[in-house]
Amino acid sequence: MSEIRLEKLTKRFGDFTAIEKMDLQVRNGEFLALLGPSGCGKSTTMNIIAGMESPSEGTVYFGDRDVTRVPMGKRGVGFVFQNYAIFTHMTVRQNLEYGLRMHGLPAAQRKRKVDEIAGFLELSPLLDKPTAGLSVNILQRIAIGRSAVLEPAIFLLDEPLSNVDAAFRSVMRYELKQLQRRFRQTMVYVTHDQLEAMTMADRIAVMDQGVLQQVGTPLEVYNNPANIFVANFIGSPGMNLLKGALTSRDGRPAIAFEELDQTIELPDELARLAEKRNSAAVLYGFRPEEIELTSQNGLSMKADFLERIGARTILHLEASGREVKAVFDNNVAVQLDSMVSFRPASGSERLFDAQTGARIG
Amino acid sequence: MTDASGATAMSKSISDTKGRQRLASADQRRLGFYLTLPTQILVLFIAVFPLLMQLYISMTDWTPLSGLNWTRAYELWAGFANYRDLFDDDRFFGALWRTFLIIIIAVPIEFLLGLAIAMLFMEEFPAKKVFYSALLVPMMIVPAVAGYMFFLLFQSDGPINQLLSLFTGSKVAISWLSDPDLALAVVIMADIWQWTPLMFLILLAGLLGVPNDQLKAATLLGASPWQRFVTIVLPKIKTIMIIAVAIRTIELFKIFDTLYIMTAGGPGVATETISVFIYKITTLELVWGYVAALALLILVTLSIVAALGMYLLQRNKSRASA
Repeated sequence: MSEIRLEKLTKRFGDFTAIEKMDLQVRNGEFLALLGPSGCGKSTTMNIIAGMESPSEGTVYFGDRDVTRVPMGKRGVGFVFQNYAIFTHMTVRQNLEYGLRMHGLPAAQRKRKVDEIAGFLELSPLLDKPTAGLSVNILQRIAIGRSAVLEPAIFLLDEPLSNVDAAFRSVMRYELKQLQRRFRQTMVYVTHDQLEAMTMADRIAVMDQGVLQQVGTPLEVYNNPANIFVANFIGSPGMNLLKGALTSRDGRPAIAFEELDQTIELPDELARLAEKRNSAAVLYGFRPEEIELTSQNGLSMKADFLERIGARTILHLEASGREVKAVFDNNVAVQLDSMVSFRPASGSERLFDAQTGARIG
Repeated sequence: MTDASGATAMSKSISDTKGRQRLASADQRRLGFYLTLPTQILVLFIAVFPLLMQLYISMTDWTPLSGLNWTRAYELWAGFANYRDLFDDDRFFGALWRTFLIIIIAVPIEFLLGLAIAMLFMEEFPAKKVFYSALLVPMMIVPAVAGYMFFLLFQSDGPINQLLSLFTGSKVAISWLSDPDLALAVVIMADIWQWTPLMFLILLAGLLGVPNDQLKAATLLGASPWQRFVTIVLPKIKTIMIIAVAIRTIELFKIFDTLYIMTAGGPGVATETISVFIYKITTLELVWGYVAALALLILVTLSIVAALGMYLLQRNKSRASA
């Protein structure tokens, strides 16, 4: 019942296409993160699921029920707005019980339910306080509680943590996850923060320019990005991508980087997949975290810049205007301006078609 | 408890510092006082002098016909006789009652109509901008001209009667402005026509200030349009509603120009409001002592009403922020 299915969903605003033929299935009880940069259509998708906007084309199903034309008040979804949309003229309790009151629940039951959710969200001492002047962290919890108290089968959250300070963000991530474990709702969570998506979501749907790029578990999306957009967008910093051409060295398949005037061996499997696709021009991808410093069979680039950010160090390598980032522990021994030889860890290399951007293998 | 005493201590130390500052700059303050003295005197003169003069005249039977300069009005000293007469003056109470009647009929209609139109304008519909501009036209028209328009419209052979004849198929010749009840109705209609746009504008501003996200949130939580209006919109625009009604009430209390051109307070005294009454006894009967007493009484009454309104607003505000 609380499965969400989008079929060929398209939304146009005048000449601008916000969402292009999107097919997406959110499973019952799943926590799905809609991830993408600003303006990628993720919020519009969310608004269409909630019924705040209607699609230009396509269908929205909740379970087997077509809800495309069902007005938002009748869809029974919980929704947390980015700015929380707290009713500022009401107390915390009045906010929390609003939905129950609108549904005509008797006062005794309202009180019981509100007290319960307030206890869970640690709002009990604030129940009779006015909402004006409460901190963002509290408002956030009220916004969640106000929807959660109705126990909706589907819960939508629009960047709920974007206004919260960093320290509280990790607390809220945990609390949201707890909330979902407890109520077992289907949750769709819009965010541009991959950390939130990676840590909380069962699956991530990555969007860009109105097009769904990939849907998968956090690790799938991280390890096997479907295309160069996902490769670049997921991970911090994103995947290194070097333009190259298939060649062979000493009878073994290899990839030649013309700009760098260097060649590196390619695993047979990747070479075979690339040949099958007939893609001569490819992008060679590898994660900054999966780089080994080695003097043999590697690439050689100049150590340009070191970013020490506490737990780890980001090394910027440069050659012929091409940049590669590598992430190491803090105690990496690299001399700035010296040449560094490195190669991707075995099995971590990825190949993308240079023309379409799609992953080859 | 500790919190409260801490707060007092803090506010005390703040006021101490302020006290020292005040002492240190006492000379400067005196200088400032002398420098602004001419302006202060001017302001006092403009605001207070007419009031005192009015009070003075109201205690006498002075009229410009008496041949005395107003400063010598004390020679015609009457004490509180003018005020006593006021309370026996049926024409005064009649005018007061009619003014009241116009207010309690016109203001609610203007309010409800203005609110309805404002709510309509929160939705999208074709040619909205055209309607918006057209709607504001009556408000821009000089009241005297509006009065003249309605005067012409409601002549017994005027366009309104012609229209009615057309619809009913028989000759209609209602003498709108010479029938006591109908004349009052026409006066109210003219006011509604001219001033509903103001209500609309003020209330629209209020409605536009209601956060859209909160309305959406309420909808998603299952509120019907009516529930949304009562629980979200109404509490948020209550203050603006009070202001709008207060403005129109005070304005209507002083209704004069449109009305005077249409009916001149007639037929008889059928549409004679307070302003028209004052105008007539000032210019025709020239009993200026009496007029002064009357005007002062109205000023005091209106001030009390305004103070009451302010009190309500304040209470509303403090309740909202409490």
